[in-house]
Amino acid sequence: MSKKMLIEALRCNRTPRAPWFPYACINCAYLLGETADRYLQDPELIAKGVEAAAKRYRADGIPLVFDLSVEANAVGCELSWWPDNVPSVATHPCAQMVSPRQLGLKLPTKDSGRWPVLLEAGKLAKPRLDALDCAMVGLYCGPLTLASHLAGVRIFTDFYKNQEFAHEVLEFAAEVNAVSAAFYAELGCEVIGIVDPVASQVKSATFREFVTPYVQKGIQVIHDAGATSMFLICGDCTKVMEEVCTIGTQSFAIDEQLNLGYVRDMALRHRVGFAGNLKLTLSLSLGVIPPREDALVSLAAGGTHGFVLAPG
Amino acid sequence: MVDKKIRIDVLTLDSVQCAACGYMMESIAALPDDVQGMIEYREWPIKTKEGIARFMELKGKVLPTICIEGDPVFASCIPQYEELIEEMARRAPSPEAAEKLMALRHVGFQFDKVGENLKKAGSGLNTREGQK
Repeated sequence: MSKKMLIEALRCNRTPRAPWFPYACINCAYLLGETADRYLQDPELIAKGVEAAAKRYRADGIPLVFDLSVEANAVGCELSWWPDNVPSVATHPCAQMVSPRQLGLKLPTKDSGRWPVLLEAGKLAKPRLDALDCAMVGLYCGPLTLASHLAGVRIFTDFYKNQEFAHEVLEFAAEVNAVSAAFYAELGCEVIGIVDPVASQVKSATFREFVTPYVQKGIQVIHDAGATSMFLICGDCTKVMEEVCTIGTQSFAIDEQLNLGYVRDMALRHRVGFAGNLKLTLSLSLGVIPPREDALVSLAAGGTHGFVLAPG
Repeated sequence: MVDKKIRIDVLTLDSVQCAACGYMMESIAALPDDVQGMIEYREWPIKTKEGIARFMELKGKVLPTICIEGDPVFASCIPQYEELIEEMARRAPSPEAAEKLMALRHVGFQFDKVGENLKKAGSGLNTREGQK
């Protein structure tokens, strides 16, 4: 286990082997025999869970949580809880085209939503992960996904029909992101990632207008703290890959729907680290492809220059 | 005569775990009441055997994808309201149904029954093999 190797790879340097970054999250709950909803609301369970997962998977880095409802909940979205999944966002305060400012939504503090649980969990987990030489990774919900949580699916229509409103929601999301980045930096996370899965579902011009500008505040906070930055995107993001490579983070992560050889070439051309892309559904969930062979394919394609093995 | 409903299948990873899948589902669940009466839809998470079979049958290529009347129409692209209405109207069972849909083009998404509609479509309730 080596946090240094993870950081080196994410900064697009060569490493002796490909470091390994499992996005465990509620799998940690499973390892402890706990339900996801109970696990995610108990700091000690989270700390125990990430420690158990780091040991079991011999991880070079592990996220404190991988839960995109934290930011939304901290600014007023209600959640639906599930025993075997992360919580989902159940209400969108800006759905009637009332902006966050008009609604008087406040930026999160350390007492907002579930932050007290996460901050306590981070304090407990950090020394345990340090002892294992495993990086603690802070992941927060990126601006476009957070804007979707705030305004609902209408935001994808507002990009064309109500641009001023869309920009206002994104501006607020960017400020919320900067707060999350600061909280994770203060916890001592060596790597901080912006997770914006919904950003793969828009055209490249929309990405340039409504994603790229709004991740910059968070990236600045991450880099000012000396942490390493990531941008994590899901789905078929082929149409926005150029934008992902140039967004300003030191690395990015993609999922199983992209060809890792193609991604590697793009990442190295732009001199950014890249992470992926074990087949989460076909291999890890369903076993349609044997996980061992799948890992070998990823390792062969990724190589040892700027590559981090991770679930896709 | 009552028109046959327009069939919509949403191929997902899992609309709870995956935000992109969640908003694909919400784009259908937030359609206004008058449109809801003209469509029937279901989420097909690929984490189940049924979901894989449906993905193959509909010739899905990426997740998430919205299929309308068997055509994969929105693949990795969350639709705008008007786009959805137009694509449904193109595949409506009768010219009258198409006209009715196009007349609803100005209405926009409605969020008051999203939770209820998602539940009806099985969203988040069938995300792993063996789950009831």
